[in-house]
Amino acid sequence: MTTSSVRQTMALAKRSTLELFRQPSVVVPSMIFPLFFAFLGNSSFGRTTSLPGFPKVSSYLQFQLAGTIVQGVLFGSVTGAAALATDIENGFFDRLLAAPTSRTGIVFGRLAGSVLFGALETAVFIFALLPFGADVSAGIRGIIAMIASGALISLAVGALMSSVALKTGSSEAVQGTFPLLFILLFFSSAFFPRETMSGVYKTIAGLNPISHLVEGLRALSLDGFTASATARAILVPLAIAIVALLIANTQLRSRLKSH
Amino acid sequence: MNVATQTGLQEKDLNITTMRSAGQLIKRSLINTRRLPSAFFPTLAMPIFNMVSFSGTFFALTKLPGFPTDRSVNWFMPLGLAMGSAFSGVGLGFSLIRDLENGFYDRLRMSPTSRLSLIVGPLFATWIRVTLVAVVVFIAGGMLGARPTAGVLSYVCSLIAALGIATIGAGWGLGLAYRFQDMRGAAIMQLSIFLTMFMSTAQVPLNVMTGWLHTVARINPITNIFRLSRSGWVNETSADYMSWSNAYGGLLAIAILSVMSLIFAVRSLKRIDN
Amino acid sequence: MTVSPIIAENLVRHFGDVQAVKGIDLEIKSGEIFGFLGPNGAGKSTAVRMLTTLLRPTSGTARVAGYDVVKDADKVRRNIGVALQDAAIDPLMTGAELLALQAVLYGIPQSMMKKRSDELLERVGLTAAATRRVSTYSGGMRRRLDLALSLIHQPTVLFLDEPTTGLDPMSRLTLWEEVRRLNKEGTTVMLTTQYLEEADQLADRIAIIDHGRIVREGRPVDLKASVGAPTLIIKTQTNQEELAKTVLVSFGDLRPGAQGELGVGLRGGATQVTDVIRKLDEAGVHVQHLEINEPSLDDVFAEATGYRLEGSDNAPPAGDNGVDEPQTKKKSRRGRK
Repeated sequence: MTTSSVRQTMALAKRSTLELFRQPSVVVPSMIFPLFFAFLGNSSFGRTTSLPGFPKVSSYLQFQLAGTIVQGVLFGSVTGAAALATDIENGFFDRLLAAPTSRTGIVFGRLAGSVLFGALETAVFIFALLPFGADVSAGIRGIIAMIASGALISLAVGALMSSVALKTGSSEAVQGTFPLLFILLFFSSAFFPRETMSGVYKTIAGLNPISHLVEGLRALSLDGFTASATARAILVPLAIAIVALLIANTQLRSRLKSH
Repeated sequence: MNVATQTGLQEKDLNITTMRSAGQLIKRSLINTRRLPSAFFPTLAMPIFNMVSFSGTFFALTKLPGFPTDRSVNWFMPLGLAMGSAFSGVGLGFSLIRDLENGFYDRLRMSPTSRLSLIVGPLFATWIRVTLVAVVVFIAGGMLGARPTAGVLSYVCSLIAALGIATIGAGWGLGLAYRFQDMRGAAIMQLSIFLTMFMSTAQVPLNVMTGWLHTVARINPITNIFRLSRSGWVNETSADYMSWSNAYGGLLAIAILSVMSLIFAVRSLKRIDN
Repeated sequence: MTVSPIIAENLVRHFGDVQAVKGIDLEIKSGEIFGFLGPNGAGKSTAVRMLTTLLRPTSGTARVAGYDVVKDADKVRRNIGVALQDAAIDPLMTGAELLALQAVLYGIPQSMMKKRSDELLERVGLTAAATRRVSTYSGGMRRRLDLALSLIHQPTVLFLDEPTTGLDPMSRLTLWEEVRRLNKEGTTVMLTTQYLEEADQLADRIAIIDHGRIVREGRPVDLKASVGAPTLIIKTQTNQEELAKTVLVSFGDLRPGAQGELGVGLRGGATQVTDVIRKLDEAGVHVQHLEINEPSLDDVFAEATGYRLEGSDNAPPAGDNGVDEPQTKKKSRRGRK
């Protein structure tokens, strides 16, 4: 990247971030809903932590924290990608293409907004749930690692969703992936440990990448700031993010070619 | 030539009854469902997904001491059905908002038919759809291992609960739609019904809950409706097993909430010309 | 004694702080076609919604078909037919199904429904399309179905809210014909429109509404006459212009014409044209071109409100407007730009 393309990316990142924060009606639900589920779960499933197969936790909320973060990030990234699709729909994307803007900057600028939002969401969830028993065993270093992990998860999911936006150019199609994400989330270990599941559910949750994103984060909050926990929390989303970015790049190129 | 002389229509021949109008409105609603099945699909898929994912994810719940059934599908099938019914109910509010926005509702309002028929017509159509959903959910649940513990009554109780929840949701949804007349109403409908449903025994029985949820769920009338709905799906030994004393709380909750929400709908409709 | 089918007295409607209708008095006589003319946002839709029981007046009263629109809303509904702007029709249903729904809502007995529905479909030329879904209908077909729906119970008073907005000229003409036919059969029609042409063509009387008030009311011909005399424009050889002026000035005030044209406001109206031509001929003036510009409703509107009704020039021309005029004259009806 040249200096000017970095500057353009920054400018676009700023735009997408500001846009996100100027739409509280879009942002707030992606924060409120996961928090509601966390508190609901804590009261509903508080007694389940003694079940065989449940990891050793101080409260269900401590267990749930990682699931809450991933849930929030998933829903938030749909919003970001839908905004990209809207750019394509209303022609802003074309206007950027007509300008001597760096091609990749257009997409990366958007993603930078998602990353920042993901980090912010993660921090909000950690500090909102901390007073209610969602202890982070890994301490302040762990919290920083979790925020970094949340940002990477946001990047990974955001890039995947952006691929959908670039492929279809329709915000409706992006919104349409929402139920799919919901299903993925529910067939993962986001709300309950895999060890307690039975048969086919256990297999599905084991194959589900969401489970692995959640469990990396969860290792940080339950096991403390260990090398293996940190590695899981960072490397898993990083690997998915790299693959997702490659896909997004391919989709961007094919959209540019068809222009 | 006068139009009037063609068919010789006279005032005394006119036959405006609530039931006749409601019948036509049911027909309209069902025609629309049949011709646009994609709009009906989520109502059908949602309860099944809910049942499948919850009973899989929270499978271990049944191992908790005092859990009223050892089959997680038995526990979560009524939840799926209730969620589906609630959304079918408020879904009426959604289609009403569409009718209000595109002006079709003006046509209905300008007709001399009773205002009540404008509400009960679509409501009856919702009952038909909910019954359809219930049948599909029962079959899917059965395939996943749900086993009734009170025979046919198990299904009847769940269906009554589903129809009740749909009615409550419908009155609430219609009332909000009349008041807001745009999609703001839809957001409130979804959110409020969602929160009310979950702050009950939707996920776990009262004896498993802790903290604030226990307090809220105990006074939430939806808890009574869930007890009714699940009374034929919990173990015979459970305190919530099918009995008149367990059913009547649910029936009462349905009756009172339905009447309240329908009054809200009718009153909101009457205010719509303001 | 017949009571006028639509009477409004000091009808007022506020929406919060906005005064949409600021006190309207109207009396529409039995058998009339009454044109309610005004730009978007002038308050005509609000007024019509009050008269059709959809909206409660803030103050004032209205009686439609002899009944109070608030106290006897149900009786009003039984006697009026309303075709709405944008013809909101359920696109998934067929024309016949919608007629059946409408018939039941208006209490048409089962035994008459089929016959009544068939009659109306034939009347509006939709018999062949009756079993097709409305989503496949053209704009004109939807309006005609809407009209049929509004007639299901043989209303004595018919409200047509912008019945031809967005229609092509042919569909517009068809609809106008139908409205005239219904009116001949005795139906009182209140027509709202933003097309001056439409009001001019159809209405026996019109009211112009602007900013929530009625600013003019009367027969189109009287309203136009009130604005002033028609303008006669002639064109002649340059060297005869002065001579021509001396003739023209005896018929009225000279008015500016375009380059090479002479204009005169005919004091005695358009019927003087033959006299003008005879006098010009006697004076030896060779007339190369002649046209007469009647004052239009647009002029009436402009004079009443201080501005021109937007879109009046865009209204598709409909029909041969000159049929009633003497064929000896070449007539232009172009609205003033």
